Amino acid sequence: MSAALLSARGVRFRYREREVLAGVDLEMEEGELVVLLGPNGVGKSTLLKIFSGLLPLHSGEVSLLGRPPASFGRREMARILSVVGQDLPVDFPMSVEEYVALGRFPHQGFFGGLAAEDRGQRERALEMTGLMELRRCCLGEISAGERQRAAVARAICQGAKVMLMDEPTAFLDIYHRVAFYEIVTRLKAECGISALVASHDLSLCAEYGERIVLLSAGRVMASGRPEEVLTPENVRMAYGVEVTCDRNPATGAVRVTPTRR
Amino acid sequence: MRRADSVIAALGAAALAAIVLSLATGPAAVSLGQVLDALAGRGAEGTPAETAERIVLSLRLPRALLGCLVGGALSSSGVAFQALLRNPLADPYILGVSAGAAVGALCAALLLPGDAFLPLPFCAFLGAVLAASAVFLLARRRSGVSRERLILMGVIVGAFLNALIMLMVALAPPGRIPGAVYWLMGDLGLGTPRRVGLLLPYVAAGTAVLFLLSRGLDLMLLGDDAAFQAGLPVEKVKAATYVTASLLAGSVVAVSGLIGFVGLIVPHGARVLIGSGHRRLVPAAFLLGGTFLILADIAARTVSPSGELPVGAVTALSGAPFFLYLLRRNGGKA
Repeated sequence: MSAALLSARGVRFRYREREVLAGVDLEMEEGELVVLLGPNGVGKSTLLKIFSGLLPLHSGEVSLLGRPPASFGRREMARILSVVGQDLPVDFPMSVEEYVALGRFPHQGFFGGLAAEDRGQRERALEMTGLMELRRCCLGEISAGERQRAAVARAICQGAKVMLMDEPTAFLDIYHRVAFYEIVTRLKAECGISALVASHDLSLCAEYGERIVLLSAGRVMASGRPEEVLTPENVRMAYGVEVTCDRNPATGAVRVTPTRR
Repeated sequence: MRRADSVIAALGAAALAAIVLSLATGPAAVSLGQVLDALAGRGAEGTPAETAERIVLSLRLPRALLGCLVGGALSSSGVAFQALLRNPLADPYILGVSAGAAVGALCAALLLPGDAFLPLPFCAFLGAVLAASAVFLLARRRSGVSRERLILMGVIVGAFLNALIMLMVALAPPGRIPGAVYWLMGDLGLGTPRRVGLLLPYVAAGTAVLFLLSRGLDLMLLGDDAAFQAGLPVEKVKAATYVTASLLAGSVVAVSGLIGFVGLIVPHGARVLIGSGHRRLVPAAFLLGGTFLILADIAARTVSPSGELPVGAVTALSGAPFFLYLLRRNGGKA
């Protein structure tokens, strides 16, 4: 049996008495773009934190390249797996390019500066995310959407094979949402990157995601191709919302439209 | 990059200029030329020049150097605590670390027999580390240490330690801790070559360690989770930073008492000049802090016709309004 790139088996996690994950099974193969859907508080972020080794596992099994996350050294892990978060240091005057270059840390010596390779990766990340013009601006001076792109750029700069992204399109307008998924698709095609993206963007996920995993009540409710997962029944059960699911006439992808109550 | 290096060079020059200015300032009139002669070892024969040389080299120079070390160490410590807590308004005082150092130093002065001069910085360091650890342990939860809780615990521990300080000063046998009140207000008048020599190794070691940790401090600005995911052994770097910043603040308190606001204002100014990259910020803040405190000391020695003000009063007079300005500018979000 070939080891999956990332796998979770029977993962449970509780914050005090509240059980968030009640036995999640998930596997991701190399080069896959998997979208994690589910209502607020269902445990998407928790699952991503468990994969990155940030949260301990209460029961079940998690592996990255066939090894438990805790068995990796910090830098070794960061060279394999990067995480796009949402909390950027806006209280300190840090320029976009300085911030993006922090992604090179696992490739540098603890005391070393930026080498030519590091600079090259930084330029590429800035270029891919369209931040070249803003590179000298401070993070506190740019918009929330631009900061979100900077966070993606730092993860690209980290050069890891696996990317975990927690609502990376939360603050983005529709142009940059599309641009984000285009970037991920490009990274996948050009660099063989695999991505696990937690999102609330149902229709856009259907457009770009190869596989959708829908979490509900702490478990995987459905997993598979977008048209298999995004059905009115599944969406009603997970989110409690009536929707119409049809096809986008231009691309044929599933389109989810909420219905008024 | 080039600009940052020239900023550091300019700050170094400013620190030297402040030292020279400090040597030429005081009740006894000593000209700039005499200062330079004395520094160059060109002491002319004859009483007035010889006296000037003695004043410059054995009275004013140690004081200026002490000011530079104290200001630099407080600023470096402030930089470290701010990165550690991801909060530009943090400094050793808010965290109760300085109060812990003062309690440690007072314990040494009160309890150790005879001249407790040598163990003073070490006891202050112990006090600082104990206070820092108490704050850290009280703030710690299973999920880790949140910065809000850390600051809250710092304020509580600091209030408790300040009460202890007042108690110790009030109950101390007369004459046992001479100048305690002045010392608690922050004073560089104790600058003797011996004290400078005592403080130097602590400050040099502490600043060097912070410089070596600079990449880790950069990543700490991302927050614990993101720094961890970016490959930093967060808990180790945090512990090393905490101990080092406490060492700097503690040893300084032992020698020159409680000088406030330097660790808060100077890192902010240095960031405006040079950005947040700690590899340049640590040396820049050290030099700027040294310069600032020497200038504050010059002001403390010259504004009052009847004698000297404690330098801590000057830094607080300029620092507290600045703190308010920062607070208002940040809209309270920091």
